[in-house]
Amino acid sequence: MRKTLLAAALVATSFGAQASAPGGSGCGWGNMLFEGSNGMPMHLLATLVNGTSGNRTFGITSGTNGCDTSGALSYNGENMLAQAGVMEEVAQDMAMGDGEALTALSVSMGIPAEERAHFKKTMHENFNTIFPSEDVTAEEVMGNIQTVMNKDKQLASLS
Amino acid sequence: MKSINLALILVLASAPLWARATNEELAEHPRWKALLHINEGTTWRYQGRSYIDDPEFFLHESGATDARAELEASIEQLRPAESEARCDFPARYRFLSQQLDWPDDGALSHCSDYQEWREAMPEERVALIFPASYLNSPSSMFGHTLLRIDRGNDEDGVWLSRAINFGATVQGQENSILYIYRGLFGGYPGYFSNVPYMNKIRDYAHLENRDMWEYQLNLTQGEREWLLAHLWELEDIEFDYLFLDENCSFRLLELIHLARPDSTLMDDFRFAEVPANTVRSLDRAGFIESVDYRPSKANELDALVDRLSASEQDLALALARDASVAEEEAFQALAPRSRNLVARAAYAHLRLQNREGERSQEVAQRGLALLRVVNRTPTVPDIDPQRPVSPEKGHGTKMLAAGGGMLGDRGFGELQARFSYHDWLDNPEGYLNGAAIEAFNARIRRTEGDDLTLEQLDVVNIKSLAPRNRFRKPVSWFVNGGLDRRFIGSKRHLTRHVQGGPGLAWEMGPVIPYAYAMARAENNSAHDVLVSTAAGARAGVLWYAESFQLGLEAEGLYYHNDDRRYRPSATLNVPVGRNHALRARIERDGGPDRAETEFHLSWRYYFD
Repeated sequence: MRKTLLAAALVATSFGAQASAPGGSGCGWGNMLFEGSNGMPMHLLATLVNGTSGNRTFGITSGTNGCDTSGALSYNGENMLAQAGVMEEVAQDMAMGDGEALTALSVSMGIPAEERAHFKKTMHENFNTIFPSEDVTAEEVMGNIQTVMNKDKQLASLS
Repeated sequence: MKSINLALILVLASAPLWARATNEELAEHPRWKALLHINEGTTWRYQGRSYIDDPEFFLHESGATDARAELEASIEQLRPAESEARCDFPARYRFLSQQLDWPDDGALSHCSDYQEWREAMPEERVALIFPASYLNSPSSMFGHTLLRIDRGNDEDGVWLSRAINFGATVQGQENSILYIYRGLFGGYPGYFSNVPYMNKIRDYAHLENRDMWEYQLNLTQGEREWLLAHLWELEDIEFDYLFLDENCSFRLLELIHLARPDSTLMDDFRFAEVPANTVRSLDRAGFIESVDYRPSKANELDALVDRLSASEQDLALALARDASVAEEEAFQALAPRSRNLVARAAYAHLRLQNREGERSQEVAQRGLALLRVVNRTPTVPDIDPQRPVSPEKGHGTKMLAAGGGMLGDRGFGELQARFSYHDWLDNPEGYLNGAAIEAFNARIRRTEGDDLTLEQLDVVNIKSLAPRNRFRKPVSWFVNGGLDRRFIGSKRHLTRHVQGGPGLAWEMGPVIPYAYAMARAENNSAHDVLVSTAAGARAGVLWYAESFQLGLEAEGLYYHNDDRRYRPSATLNVPVGRNHALRARIERDGGPDRAETEFHLSWRYYFD
């Protein structure tokens, strides 16, 4: 019996003291379980307690959670680009001429489905104008997109 | 004839009375029970009452335990036209007004917040999303699930869809033991959230490098309406979050069950809700219409690298380090198609390497420069990673095995039971090669002329092989804690141990060679000290052939008291269909004093 207890103690100490999850830095809610945490203690915990789930977000009506305060349920181009990590995806799609992020941008901008191929092609051809530097903001990118669209016969009426 | 007419009139006259259910019947209605989240015996806790304690969710003070009292309070408060309660409980209103034939008195038209939200929310399609395991993180094998709600125009894609997620909230630092305790027995609050699906793509596919499986469900418009209206009712409602059963996956099952209460989803008792089993349950209950695969960024890079020659790979690496390589002769001499692939691989590699941590100005600059190179070359279409077998097609997560063999000159019979999940020689379909995660894996043995003995009990056993290549240099690792029986001196003793260590692995087609350094602490009855410590190494090779898996391994340990142990082994696993396998193993176990050879043949059956 003592040995079994010892075994339990051995196993338990290996969890270490750092089981609490890493944080969304600056987020109001301390966050969650195993998602996004890669430390070995987390793997052990996850194995034993079925490491599912976790998120650090909250609420049904909006996306607000203290990390992302945009809270939008729908997008109009610029607020989509302002989402963390989205601009890089859009930039990559524009560089290549197509992709899901670019499609989503065109939808959020209200580009009709029949104009989308032309929109994407135009964005592809004007990649350097739209992304002039790595420090460009979402607002500037949107402004550059509008400028490019205004110069295009087909797209001018949509911008 | 007259009496027949009279009977007919009576029947017709009383029909509305019959059709309208009594309060007692309504309180037992499957949809009412689903609306209140009543546990009808699906999990062990809170049977016969609501899973929810939050008083905000109930209109009657004992609503959590008394479905009929809650029904009557709901009727009373939702019945008046323009009642405020309707705006908090649109799905309940829908249920009661349908069941009780309430007149059309404007219904929910006065609920402007709700109307505005419904207007903005998509509603055309519902999918279950399963972010699968990721490399070097076997615990992610359990996965996670969320719902996605789409606008439904295929050509628009799903980036603008919404993700419905159930998760626990843990605040601040927590002691690990308390954390496990509260995770298992309650104490963490869980909430539903509604976030942009693109954020989930970023979290899983881009940051964590997990493939995502997207299961389109065949919910009808009416069924989706139930789901959405009920989601609104769950805003800011606190659930308990329990890791094992009442977790993210289980709560989604509840939502789907609410949409279609006559489904068989909640019929079986669910001891532990493993997301892969959630998908299987939905599949069995006929909910899954189609399956989409969204590869992780790492798999996208691998697909690009596969198209490159060795020299092109080197060029891509050089380009990722310095974008001006694009101006050099070696790059310019490539065909346009190759230039495109090399530049894309360079960019994907840079992104992958820098996906975490603070933004670096220099990396951002290099990234944009690489995109300009990509932009100048004609895009090669359809570089899609090969789609693996989807996780719900994998073997069952629990396992029983029966077998026998010889240890030295004595025969034995053995039974094995494993609570979860996968070892790296089990049928790899639907799982990640080179990843193993086992919890509560026990073997009991009866040797000729001996009593029944415990041969092995792994409380936890995780092994991860992350192959290294030109582009990625991950460190593999393993950790294992539990009991096993080993030769110490001339006798076999049960040891209680913890062991683990870092390692390296490579991939050569279906073959994965690997090597680990390892440390072990154990308690046994042969050594004088309470805890013996040992250092050693383990090396081997895995071969994932078409119809079998083969593992060769050798392990050597050197103890603090000069004791030595070694164990070379060979294991062959031959899957027979999805849920059976034949396994043969030969190993030699022992030390300088004594060693024996063991042959072992067993039949493995996977279930659940």
